[in-house]
Amino acid sequence: MKGSKICERERIQLEKMNKFQLENHYKKVGFIAAIGSFAFMIAMKYFDNPVWLKPILEGVLLMGLLLISISKDKIEDEYIDSLRSQSYRLAFVFAILYALLQPLVNFVVSYALQQDNEYESFNYFQVLFFMLVVQLLFFWKLKKQH
Amino acid sequence: MKNTLKVQRAILDLTQEDLANKIGVSRQTINSIEKNRYIPSTVLALKLSAVFKLPVNTFFALEEND
Repeated sequence: MKGSKICERERIQLEKMNKFQLENHYKKVGFIAAIGSFAFMIAMKYFDNPVWLKPILEGVLLMGLLLISISKDKIEDEYIDSLRSQSYRLAFVFAILYALLQPLVNFVVSYALQQDNEYESFNYFQVLFFMLVVQLLFFWKLKKQH
Repeated sequence: MKNTLKVQRAILDLTQEDLANKIGVSRQTINSIEKNRYIPSTVLALKLSAVFKLPVNTFFALEEND
């Protein structure tokens, strides 16, 4: 009896988490954060900046993309929800493929170019950025196609 | 699954936008259902049934490969 109550409570909590989405106006906040931090990152290449600024900007960019990703559309119905789920599924698979293949590509390129320095590996930012961008692009593409 | 949503909508002289507003979805959703690109949930099918005042299986039907 007690066990079934715990299971039921867990199921309700999982359902709540699964349905969690931000209101549509957070999408604008996400766009501003993502575009702003991206512009800053490009500008950083031309100016001297403290070392700590880069990870902060990367974090803001990822947060911005996440806000866009989890914000509702103007009309959020079950159809949009199914397209969103499809885009998450595709992004997940592509991100894993990216994570598996990217070090190999880096190694082949560095070997082909006969670079003496060690080939660069990728960091968490690259994978998360790739995953979020792929999700958003697939979501927009799917919406456009239908 | 095939459907006659477009026909039922025409009988009631409703645009996709009108029907979408009546059942609280986007016009895109109605368009996708009509073109058989999306199979709606039971809830949505019942909402459509209420608008058309017809049983669900009069405008939705299974195909051989379903």
